[in-house]
Amino acid sequence: MRNLIRTELFKIFRQRKTYYAIAAVFVLEAFIMVSAYFQGREFLDVFLENLRESFEFQGNLLNGNLIIYLVLNSFWFHIPLILMIVVSGFLTTEYKDRTVEAVLLQPVSKRNYIISKYIAALVFTAFILGILIISTFLLSYLFFGQGDLVVFLEGLSFYSATEAFNRLMIAFLVGSLTMFFYAVVSITLAVLFQEATVTWIVAALFLIGTTLLLRLEFDSEWVNSLFFPKLTDSWQYVFFSEIPYRTILNKSLVLIGYTGLIAWIGIRVFQKRDIT
Amino acid sequence: MILDARDVRKSYGSLEVLKGVSLSLSSGEICGLIGPNGAGKSTLFRILLGLVSRDAGTLEIHSGASKPLGGIIEKPALYGYLSAFENLLVFSRIQGLKQSGTDIESQLLQVGLSPNRKDPVRNFSMGMKQRLGLAIALLNEPECVILDEPFSGLDPMGIRTLQDEIRGLAKARGIGILISSHNLVELGDLCDRLYVINQGEIVREGPAREILQQAARSYIIYGTGLESSAVLAAAHVEHRTGSVLLHLGEDSIHAILRRLSTEPGVILTACVPQTNLAALFEKTPE
Repeated sequence: MRNLIRTELFKIFRQRKTYYAIAAVFVLEAFIMVSAYFQGREFLDVFLENLRESFEFQGNLLNGNLIIYLVLNSFWFHIPLILMIVVSGFLTTEYKDRTVEAVLLQPVSKRNYIISKYIAALVFTAFILGILIISTFLLSYLFFGQGDLVVFLEGLSFYSATEAFNRLMIAFLVGSLTMFFYAVVSITLAVLFQEATVTWIVAALFLIGTTLLLRLEFDSEWVNSLFFPKLTDSWQYVFFSEIPYRTILNKSLVLIGYTGLIAWIGIRVFQKRDIT
Repeated sequence: MILDARDVRKSYGSLEVLKGVSLSLSSGEICGLIGPNGAGKSTLFRILLGLVSRDAGTLEIHSGASKPLGGIIEKPALYGYLSAFENLLVFSRIQGLKQSGTDIESQLLQVGLSPNRKDPVRNFSMGMKQRLGLAIALLNEPECVILDEPFSGLDPMGIRTLQDEIRGLAKARGIGILISSHNLVELGDLCDRLYVINQGEIVREGPAREILQQAARSYIIYGTGLESSAVLAAAHVEHRTGSVLLHLGEDSIHAILRRLSTEPGVILTACVPQTNLAALFEKTPE
């Protein structure tokens, strides 16, 4: 299994599209920073005009922490979309080039092969997130400096620079679970649909559907806590004035459960299906 | 015997692709499988290689090797963005083979590929890809190799080189080889035995030359003086430049050749049987 995972990672980092994905993350980050620079100041001035008369804020509110928070918001759609396209390609490309067949003509079990794909997808996701987190913090602090963070979630919340840093780090880590979930979904969709374009369309639909269903409120708290689209926003809870750690933990555990279940479905389908 | 498949059946929905196919292969033997498009060749190969499940029948592989069967289905599937060396490295690693750089280079040389080419294999010709595919199929020393249409897309030189490599594998290394092709001449030259498959059934099997001979209904005869031959004038022939196409009537080819060889002014240089595909794919009467 270790050999398979090593080989999967070797293949991933020998493909041009991996570097396109990394470049896409940087471009996205750059867009957010540039647009924040040009539009953020005006927005904050209007938004906080009245509050400035009553409160005193430390430093410039259009600072690195706010930029990091804006980049973090790309976890809603942009980053998962890039991830789903690239990660599903790890398998759909192999179907297209028929290298799945070539691998399975060697003494390699279908189960180990597909598990290695899931593990490689998780490692790749962790790698992309690592790059995103490190570069976001470095570039944001470098260009925009540190300062208090203002966020609007059920009202305005203000955090000191140190607390903002801690909360942003926790949010990135909790949000990473959602990204791992989407990466696993991508591989399972690739197992089910095999063809790249179909898989991309279904992956995009899945992402859009999940984002829309997130706002759906059920009467039953039990249903709300198990309905998977509502589990993908745990990182937002980190910016409540009192962090609801218990809720975040529960949601994260259920999301990990869903991730495992979706991977299991993909593994079973791949094992059962003929390679034609 | 290394491979023994008995009464293998496979259906896709209501379409019965294989209707009880039996086939066997011994070490060092080259066996051909021939049939029209859609006859079930690739499905049978995929079942033998474990890529597709069978609905019924038995498959016995008598081998103690960790990789009893190697194979290529249709065109070789390679990682186009990797070099030949890296492809071999990847396929070695996934099956836990610890190979040094020198080992891999010697495997490339064995199939006639230069270890110095570092560019991605997507730049390779079909012949080079086929040879690399063969090197991958031979990793881990399988006792049997299954090659589906290995000559497709190759030029005559490429076909000859690959044929020589296949012969070498069978004779020198004792590997059993099961091979399919549309080209009767290629299979006739190469194979010890031949299976003919049509509509999911083995319709003929036996020594390759015998099977092809049985289905030959015409012959191209090469030589000089053929235009003025009285023997050929009495037969059903079409004259071509430097040759005639002879359609067999009541006389056997042996009788006609015997008479031609004694006819004054006629010098024979070659006689090539032209297999009638309809006759070849026709089911042998029980």
